[in-house]
Amino acid sequence: MKKQGREHGSEVQSNRAARGRRLHSALGPRTSPSSRHLLPVFPWFGLDIGGTLVKLVYFEPKDITAEEEEEEVENLKSIRKYLTSNVAYGSTGIRDVHLELKDLTLCGRKGNLHFIRFPTHDMPAFIQMGSQKHFSSLHTTLCATGGGAYKFEQDFRTMGDLQLCKLDELDCLIKGVLYIDSVGFNGHSECYYFENPTDSEKCEKLPFNLENPYPLLLVNIGSGVSILAVYSKDNYKRVTGTSLGGGTFFGLCCLLTGCSTFEEALEMASRGDSTKVDKLVRDIYGGDYERFGLPGWAVASSFGNMVSKEKRESVSKEDLARATLITITNNIGSIARMCALNENINRVVFVGNFLRINTISMRLLAYALDYWSKGQLKALFLEHEGYFGAVGALLELLDTA
Amino acid sequence: MKLIVAKERSFPWFGMDIGGTLVKLVYFEPKDITAEEEQEEVENLKSIRKYLTSNTAYGKTGIRDVHLELKNLTVCGRKGNLHFIRFPSCAMHRFIQMGSEKNFSSLHTTLCATGGGAYKFEEDFRMCMCIEMTIAGCRVDLHGANQPVQINTQLAQLRGGHPKHGAKGSCPNSHPPGMALHIADLQLHKLDELDCLIQGLLYVDSVGFNGQPECYYFENPADPEQCQKKPYCLDNPYPMLLVNIGSGVSVLAVYSKDNYKRVTGTSLGGGTFLGLCCLLTGCETFEEALEMAAKGDSTNVDKLVKDIYGGDYERFGLQGSAVASSFGHMMSKEKRDTTSKEDLARATLVTITNNIGSIARMCALNENIDRVVFVGNFLRINMIAMKVLAYAMDYWSKGQLKALFLEHEGYFGAVGALLELLKMTDDQ
Repeated sequence: MKKQGREHGSEVQSNRAARGRRLHSALGPRTSPSSRHLLPVFPWFGLDIGGTLVKLVYFEPKDITAEEEEEEVENLKSIRKYLTSNVAYGSTGIRDVHLELKDLTLCGRKGNLHFIRFPTHDMPAFIQMGSQKHFSSLHTTLCATGGGAYKFEQDFRTMGDLQLCKLDELDCLIKGVLYIDSVGFNGHSECYYFENPTDSEKCEKLPFNLENPYPLLLVNIGSGVSILAVYSKDNYKRVTGTSLGGGTFFGLCCLLTGCSTFEEALEMASRGDSTKVDKLVRDIYGGDYERFGLPGWAVASSFGNMVSKEKRESVSKEDLARATLITITNNIGSIARMCALNENINRVVFVGNFLRINTISMRLLAYALDYWSKGQLKALFLEHEGYFGAVGALLELLDTA
Repeated sequence: MKLIVAKERSFPWFGMDIGGTLVKLVYFEPKDITAEEEQEEVENLKSIRKYLTSNTAYGKTGIRDVHLELKNLTVCGRKGNLHFIRFPSCAMHRFIQMGSEKNFSSLHTTLCATGGGAYKFEEDFRMCMCIEMTIAGCRVDLHGANQPVQINTQLAQLRGGHPKHGAKGSCPNSHPPGMALHIADLQLHKLDELDCLIQGLLYVDSVGFNGQPECYYFENPADPEQCQKKPYCLDNPYPMLLVNIGSGVSVLAVYSKDNYKRVTGTSLGGGTFLGLCCLLTGCETFEEALEMAAKGDSTNVDKLVKDIYGGDYERFGLQGSAVASSFGHMMSKEKRDTTSKEDLARATLVTITNNIGSIARMCALNENIDRVVFVGNFLRINMIAMKVLAYAMDYWSKGQLKALFLEHEGYFGAVGALLELLKMTDDQ
């Protein structure tokens, strides 16, 4: 069903060849002190152009020698300063400072890894900015993944005079996850889970050791959802996906409540009561549906109460936001559970920016997986949520042939 | 609770399925009533029969699906027609009250009911269709006296001397003691909805639909010109995956007549479609929602693979036209302002339907079953959903799976309940 295709293979080969040529032509004094490998020229970026958000990771070298600094081209310096001295860019770009990985050693260079995001909607402006800063004159390779790497390829070429190195988003995702987990999060664990997820008093976020990660079910919740079964570093398959993802939650919320940002939507949801909106098993059965182990509090029909005019008039926007969140989250959890069962995998890692600042969904996923699998499955989460694709793209850049 | 019932399985014969949104009622109308029977027929039984069969609408919301009527059916040696009636579950109390007014309980009949409402409304049935005692034409109502002990006590009192009256209710007349007693009551037999669904389905498929097949599929579902509804022979139905799309969804793997399991379910069902539609478009009925959906374009609302990739996502076989993110465009104010209610209705329909299809497909794959039968009232007059399911099953499985449909869609639970009634032995 999935093409681990020849098309992709030849594409990778041609990308690698192109990169090789560029490295050769851009040979500078930069070689890794510890190896004879030729390193790509700075700046080192990894770009993941998704359906809703662009994720950018930028490696800021902190070990620049005086000599290097002297030789540094003006615009490279200005890019470095621009990115590291701001936490907001334009009106929509944001650097997630709390995610910064400090004192990272990448290919023998020491520095910090920065995590930046902005809406995909602003891609043209981003490319324009790159063009104004004469990014292409830096002769650097821009490794990009996500659908946008394909969609905007032409625009990069014509507007930015840049040749993108296009990478598959799921390849990058997995690479990025494994890498970040291996380096850790400034001494802390990257991976965690929730104990007592539904108990607001007792709920605890606890570290999880992902050293022996395989096999692993990876659920990437972006605008849409992809579910991967990962057997080893180089062996995975896309099991399935669902189009009811973060974009659905956000889009429906905007329609139902008039909100306009993800943050607003979550904020409303945190104050709502979805049981006013959803029809529960007990609303239909008067209690549990014992025969098939369905407790009265389980949702039988999401938004099912909204068929009644009376009920529609008595629910608040917050209730609707909450119901939307719960519905999308539970659906993803249910599908993930089915996949885990069928693939015979008991650890399910949820990533993607749908989970950014979204503790409600994370805890619900943790609870649902545990409950419906009778404790067989464990839901795991990662601190760098939606950035793994971009990290994987950066790694590909550094992964010299 | 032991009852004293009439010698034969008494009419009327009903099967009831009280769902989350709709109540489905099947009624067997005997057409072979002899002159003798007719004479003996109790007044209210006759009136019920006439009321049901001479109307196609009841009250404001009850509807008889005449096109689904099964004619000249032989059931337990009786010949007659099987009628299919539905009304919203929110009218349940009115229905119970009507039954009470028509003295339904005096008919000594058993009411077989399935669906969640059989449990939820059990008390209401019992309380309203109360236990009656007839003493020489005088009726004494014993509300709430549904425990055997209480009844026996009342009986003893009534036999012994001046009638004493139970819990509530009182008799305005005075009368001599010791007259003949008849106890009448309504026994509600609760049945599991999935058991009934399967039994009902197998039965209706076996008797056929007035000579036509009950089961069908769509050929060329993606091509509006070439798409054809074709009969399907379900003679060897096992194994089959049964997807019941009501307010919510249950997915069953059926291995034989008596061997099935509930594989999974999803709460994103017909109730979700209708509820979301009402909120997003202001519509109020299922029919309205479908009508709007028929005129809408969901690609204005949904973010497709091509919107993200600029084309296909070839690596994993995702065509540009596939939906990557349902309602994904709606985060943009610009797009929200240019989308119509019809587009929203269409997107809601497509989203819910595709999600169900996707889940069904995963189950079919894992259970190793290649026939998927979709039933439930979400599919009533919903050609769009049926075609989407037919197409999705075929496409995503590369032709391995077949989507099948049944004419009596949402009524199988009620039929199963009726069958259970007829299976009950007379001296029970």
